Amino acid sequence: MASSSDLENPNASSALPYSYTPLPDGEQTAEPAVVLHPKKAVAILVCAFLSVGFLVALIGNSGPLLPKNLNTNVAPSTVATPAKTTPLSRGVDKGVSEKAFRPKLGADNSFPWSSNMLDWQRTGFHFQPEKNWMNDPNGPVFYKGWYHLFYQYHPDAPVWGKIVWGHAVSKDLINWRHLPIAMETDEWYDEQGVWTGSATILPDGQLVVLYTGSTNESVQVQNLAYPADPNDPLLINWVKYPGNPVLVPPPGIDDKDFRDPTTAWKTPEGKWRITIGSKINKTGISLVYDTVDFKTFELLDGVLHAVPGTGMWECVDFYPISKQAENGLDTSVDGPGVKHIVKASMDDDRHDYYAIGTYDAYKGKWTPDNPTLDVGIGLRYDYGIYYASKTFYDQNKNRRVLWSWIKETDTEASDISKGWASLMGVPRTILLDKKTKSNIIQWPVEEITALRTDATVFKKLVLEAGALVPLNLPAASQLDIVAEFELDEATVQRLNGADVAYDCAQNGGAATRGALGPFGLSVLAHDGLVEHTPVYFYVAKAVDGSLKTFFCADQSRSSTATDVDKSIYGNIVPVLKGEKLSMRILVDHSIVESFAQEGRTCITSRVYPTKAIYNNARMFLFNNATAATVTASVNVWQMKSADI
Amino acid sequence: MKFSSPLTILSLLLLLQQTLLSAMADTQLIKNTCKGTPSSSLCLKILLADPKSQHADLTGLALIGVNAINNKGLKIIKQIVALKKSRPELRPALDHCAEVYHAVVDADVPSSRDALRGGVAKFAEDGMADSAVEAQVCERSFGEHGYTSPMTGSNNAMHDVANVVRAIIRKLL
Repeated sequence: MASSSDLENPNASSALPYSYTPLPDGEQTAEPAVVLHPKKAVAILVCAFLSVGFLVALIGNSGPLLPKNLNTNVAPSTVATPAKTTPLSRGVDKGVSEKAFRPKLGADNSFPWSSNMLDWQRTGFHFQPEKNWMNDPNGPVFYKGWYHLFYQYHPDAPVWGKIVWGHAVSKDLINWRHLPIAMETDEWYDEQGVWTGSATILPDGQLVVLYTGSTNESVQVQNLAYPADPNDPLLINWVKYPGNPVLVPPPGIDDKDFRDPTTAWKTPEGKWRITIGSKINKTGISLVYDTVDFKTFELLDGVLHAVPGTGMWECVDFYPISKQAENGLDTSVDGPGVKHIVKASMDDDRHDYYAIGTYDAYKGKWTPDNPTLDVGIGLRYDYGIYYASKTFYDQNKNRRVLWSWIKETDTEASDISKGWASLMGVPRTILLDKKTKSNIIQWPVEEITALRTDATVFKKLVLEAGALVPLNLPAASQLDIVAEFELDEATVQRLNGADVAYDCAQNGGAATRGALGPFGLSVLAHDGLVEHTPVYFYVAKAVDGSLKTFFCADQSRSSTATDVDKSIYGNIVPVLKGEKLSMRILVDHSIVESFAQEGRTCITSRVYPTKAIYNNARMFLFNNATAATVTASVNVWQMKSADI
Repeated sequence: MKFSSPLTILSLLLLLQQTLLSAMADTQLIKNTCKGTPSSSLCLKILLADPKSQHADLTGLALIGVNAINNKGLKIIKQIVALKKSRPELRPALDHCAEVYHAVVDADVPSSRDALRGGVAKFAEDGMADSAVEAQVCERSFGEHGYTSPMTGSNNAMHDVANVVRAIIRKLL
């Protein structure tokens, strides 16, 4: 246990540029007695002023707090009934009746959740611990032949709580071996939680980890840890630096706005540099620190970057991407052929945003290429459920790999019943999109294709307006799907455009028909489509003839259950001249990961069907456009389960 | 001390003024906090019911809100136990309600408290959002079994309080 001297002087030997101010103990100091002049007149005058002040204070109170007729019984509010979406009629179609689309309630509802339904929700090839709660990925790294993943883990319940570092290793990012907890809450400086952190491999091969500890008094501090045995490729045991914490909140930064240190990169002076997200009022910022030994740090003036109105920046990530090459770059790489990404998880809206820009290594500052698409207000890694993500440079395969936390969107009661909560997304490689140059592309790591087994191929199926085609598959809960779509040019050309705004989330999902969309695949579908999850393109032609393509995933009819999230996610996807529309979908029980145009727009969804499970899960191809014919080619692979 | 001494009177007045001013300041915080919640009157009722609200900061007020959820949840669980005896035909729905309200009290509440104390309010927001949904789940479970809910008042109250507390917590983000 720490003595008070530890609290007041954590680094006796180091020259910290600021001091760790002990937290106030909450006592109010008594007002000092006023010294009186012996003169009565002055005394009376002072008393008079105070009396006036007292009266002003009394009167200044702007009236009673509670309205006199406060209704102590809350007026009964209508408990929200589930939206019964009645889709538009399909018009002339290929034999699908209206009934098929209407979600049925009453006898068809099968609540509460049966263990059959809940058991099905566990994934086949997404990283998840055997039970209880997980959140942020931590310290991902390739070390001595193994991929390491650490993660925020609550060992006691399927809900967030006192967090430790879970740990697992893999040879291929797909099959995992779970290892003992790497770091527990066993020091005063991480007693309330061993929170998120990152790993840095030094040029001599040494591995160091910086992580946030929530102290016994809930102050957010940064701590140094390293492997107990650097020769152990499994990195089972860890040592916390005895001089921790190495960083405490600097002046002007709140004790609770200082977390998630990044991987370090080299400065031109040969020092190491990290960045840590924070906020000042509602401006999200990223602080910069330099160090030579990861034990003492120097806070740089200013910030790496800041964006007003974005709130707290969690899990900041900063890394170079190549302008020309198709490989990843070590975090320290810089130069003319390089752009830099700043990414942050926005606490306010629970989305991960990134921006492409230019890094000034001498000043320690970064500027976005396009300020209208700045961090927190522009592009997102993923338009669904995707948060607290973190990349690492995989020196084994010369690529930058992205991990992300995918939370549940069902109720806590369900999570308790099934005994677990949260997944990691399938790791993705990140590259600059060399064609658009204004976004990155993300793609599931190639190793995932090793799980592909039986393929079912559908070539050039012609889908007229309103078509719905069931795809005959051996099974439909674990799939890797690649599909290409072509709209018939003649219709696109002759159509009059309209400047009508479209938004995946607001426009009613796949049931809302336009001239040129929606069309795509409906996964985790039930015969009769009582439950289904459409993933689709919607093309809109403007008055000037230009086309805008939207990519959406629609959970509004994904389940007859009423206690699961039924949002519709998506965004515009850039489509260049001559490109066919293509999508890839990984279906893995209660998670669906969708990618458009080779990873320009990505959407991760959580889906909890009650009927479209096990042998009853199906897949459909559909064209719900009113005017255009769509030609589709689809490759569907069954996916084996991995060791997760 | 001599009651009539000017020093005494002065000190007393100062102390009273200090107390009054500080009480006013905290009342102002409570009022401002309750603005922009779905029901400021419900918000005020929840916060003012706890005397600690007078000297609480925003995190403290949020914790008072979570306590209110906890207390309400515990009361509702007792109500469910009583209903199982008086209305045995409602057992399937009541079992489901017990399950979801235990999720509120055993998981959402402790998690939200830890999150608020740790300065990661987003997990507390999730806890309150879930509590509101669990109340709806309980309410619906009666209809699903073909009965009228005997708990509409309680479920609506839990739902409303959870949404108010969620709004308070969002101010901490």
